[in-house]
Amino acid sequence: MSPQRRYLSGLLAILVSTVVFVIPFAFILLTALKDKKESALRSFSWPASFHLWDNLVQVIQARDYMLLTAFLNSTILTVVSVTLMVVFGAMVGFVLQRRPSIWTSIASFFVLVGLIMPPAVVPTIWVLQSLGLFKTLHGMILIEVAYGLSFSILLFRAFVATIPRELDEAATIDGAGPLQLFFRIILPLLKPVVVTVIVVQSVAIFNDFTNPLYYLPGKQNVTVQLTLYNFQSMFDTSYNLLFMNVLLITIPPLIVFLFFNRQIVAGMTAGAVKG
Amino acid sequence: MPRSKNWSVLAGFAAGLTVMTALSGSAFADTTTLTFLVPSGEENVARAQSLAKAFEAANPDIKVDIDTRPGGAEGDNLIKTRLATGEMSDIFQYNSGSLFQAINPQQNLVDLSGEPWQADVQDIFKKVVTAPDGTQRGAPIGTGMGGGIYYNKKIYSDLGLSIPKTWAEFMANNAKIKAAGKVAVIQTFKDTWTSQLFVLGDFYNVNAAEPDFATKFTGNQAKFATSPAALKGFEHQAEVFKDGYLNEDFGAATYDDGLRKLATGEGAHYPMLTFATGAIKTTYPEHLGDVGFFAMPGDDATKNGLTVWMPDGLYIAGSSEHADAAKKFVAFVASPAGCEAQTAALGVTGPYMVKGCALPTDVPPAVADLLPYFGENGAASPALEFVSPVKGPSLEQITVEVGSGIRPPADGAALYDEDVKKQAQQLGLPGW
Repeated sequence: MSPQRRYLSGLLAILVSTVVFVIPFAFILLTALKDKKESALRSFSWPASFHLWDNLVQVIQARDYMLLTAFLNSTILTVVSVTLMVVFGAMVGFVLQRRPSIWTSIASFFVLVGLIMPPAVVPTIWVLQSLGLFKTLHGMILIEVAYGLSFSILLFRAFVATIPRELDEAATIDGAGPLQLFFRIILPLLKPVVVTVIVVQSVAIFNDFTNPLYYLPGKQNVTVQLTLYNFQSMFDTSYNLLFMNVLLITIPPLIVFLFFNRQIVAGMTAGAVKG
Repeated sequence: MPRSKNWSVLAGFAAGLTVMTALSGSAFADTTTLTFLVPSGEENVARAQSLAKAFEAANPDIKVDIDTRPGGAEGDNLIKTRLATGEMSDIFQYNSGSLFQAINPQQNLVDLSGEPWQADVQDIFKKVVTAPDGTQRGAPIGTGMGGGIYYNKKIYSDLGLSIPKTWAEFMANNAKIKAAGKVAVIQTFKDTWTSQLFVLGDFYNVNAAEPDFATKFTGNQAKFATSPAALKGFEHQAEVFKDGYLNEDFGAATYDDGLRKLATGEGAHYPMLTFATGAIKTTYPEHLGDVGFFAMPGDDATKNGLTVWMPDGLYIAGSSEHADAAKKFVAFVASPAGCEAQTAALGVTGPYMVKGCALPTDVPPAVADLLPYFGENGAASPALEFVSPVKGPSLEQITVEVGSGIRPPADGAALYDEDVKKQAQQLGLPGW
C-alpha cells in the first residue's frame, strides 16, 4: 500500500467513526445542556443558554434519587451475572470439549436449545414465583445468566479446542487435581475469550430493558434503562432531562472501557496470535 | 502469584455484591404499604405524588409507594402480564373504555360498585368502567378532555376571525389565514397518532346525525364507508390537504413541532386532544394565553358539540392483599379533596368527573373554552372508543394516507372498515 493510500484510508476510517460515534454523542451532550423549550426542537445546534447543573440535579433527584438506586442495582446485576457466566461458561465449555460422551452431546443439544428457543415471559414468571425469586435481584441475575450462558459456553468450548491437551496431561502428571487444573492452567489461558464474554455480556445486560421491565417490577428494583421512562411519555417529554439521563448512564460503561481499553485489546489480540 | 490474587479479589467482590442483594427487601412493621402503578411521564408522576402525599397526611397508618410503567403497547403488555401472573400493584391507573374491557375486569379487578363515593361520580364516566356484568370497577383519576381543534388566538384577533361552528366557516377561516401567509392547519404525521383527530374528534357530529351509529357499528350494521355522516371525518381530512392548508413539513413534523407552531403563532389550527394543554404549559408557558380551543365543526351550527375522552380509571387488582386500604385511597382520589390535590400538582387541565369538585377561576383559555361543553347545557358525547369496543389498530396509518392525499377518503373509510373487522372477530362480537 502506498503512503498516500494509507493516509486516505486512515482519513476515511476517522470520518466514518466520527459520523457513527462522535456525532450522536455530541447530539446527546448538546441536548442535555439545553432548557426544555430549546430541547423540544431537537435540533443539532449550540445551546442558547447552559443548564448543565440544573438538568443534572433534576435528573438525579427525580423520584427520590431513583437514578442512584438504579445504578447500584444495575452494577450488582451486571457484575454478578457476568461473573457467574464466565465461571460456569468456562467450566462447561471445558468439560464439553475435553470429555466427549453420550452425555456431552445431550448437554450440547440443550445449550443449542437455549440459544434457539425464545423465552416466554409468563411461564418464566410462574417458575420464579414458585421458587420465591420473583421481584428479587437474585432471580433477575439467574434470568440474565440463563439467557446469556448458551452463547458463552459456545465461545469457551470453541476456544478450549485450541489449547493443546498435552498441557492438561503435563499438569496432571505434576499432580494437579481437576479443579486445580481448571483454575490454574486452563482459566488463565482462556483470558482472551473471557475478555470477549465480559465485554459482550456486560453491554447486553447493562443495556437490557425488557427483561427487567417484566421480571423485576417495583420501585426499589429499578435498573438504569428503566429510569429513561421518568422523562418520557406520549404527550409530554422533557428531552433535555431525557438526554441528560442518557448521558449519565452512558458514561460509566465508557469510563470502564477507557480504563480497561488496554486489557481488552491486549486480551483479544493475544487470542488472535496464539490461536 | 499476582494473577491468582486478582482473581480472588474479583471473586470476593462478586460474592460481596451477591450478599448485598440478600439485604434488600426488609419487613415493614405496623403501617400498610400500598403500591400504586402509574404511567410514566412528569404529569402522571406529579399527580400521583401529590395524591399520595395528601392521602398519607390524612391516613398516617397507610403509606403509598409509586411505581411507573411505560405507556403505549409496551404498557398494555405489561399490565396484562402482571395481571395474569397475579403480581399487579394494589392500585393502578389505566385507560377506561375499550382498553379497560380488554384486561378482563370481571376476573382481575375488585368490584367497586357498592362504594359510597360512586354517587358523586358522573354517569358519563361510570359507563366506561362498567364490566360486562354491570358492575363498576374503577374510579376517575385526572380530568376529562376533548378532541377538537386548538387555535391561535393572536392570529384570530389579528385577522378578525370568529370561532367556526360549521365546517364551511372553518374552511373560510382557513382561506383567510392562508391568504395572510400563515399556516392554516398544522399536521404532524411523524407521530402518526396525531393524524386521527379529524376522524375521531368528529364523532359528536356523527352521533348528532345518526344517534344509533355506535350501536349499529358494534353490531356490524353501520360502516364508516357507507354512513354519510361518519365518512365526513375522512373527507374533511382530505379537504384540508387538497386545498393546500397544511404546513409544508406535515409529513415529517412531530407532535412537539406541532405544539411549537401553534403556540408561537406559526400556524393557526392544530387538531389535537386537550391533553396538550399540559405540555404547552410546561414548554411554552409565556404563550399559554395565546392558545384557545373549539370543538370539531360539523354541518349544522345549532348542533355543534364536543367529542369527549374520558380520563383514566383507577383500579384495585383482585390479587391485592390490602384491598381495604386500597379502597380508602381510591375513595380519597374520587373525592373533592382528591381533586384539590390533583389541581395543586398540575393546575387545571379540564373538568373533573367527580361532582362537587370546584375549579379555580384563573384557568388557561384553552381550558376555559373547554368547560362550557361539559356544563349544564353543554353539548358533549363520549368518543366512539368509549361507546363501542370496536377500534381498529391501523386507523392512524390510514388517516396519514388520506391526510397526505395518497388515498381517497372513501377508500380510506372502506379500508378502516376492513381493519376493525379483524378486531371485532377477535373480541367475538355477535354479527361479525
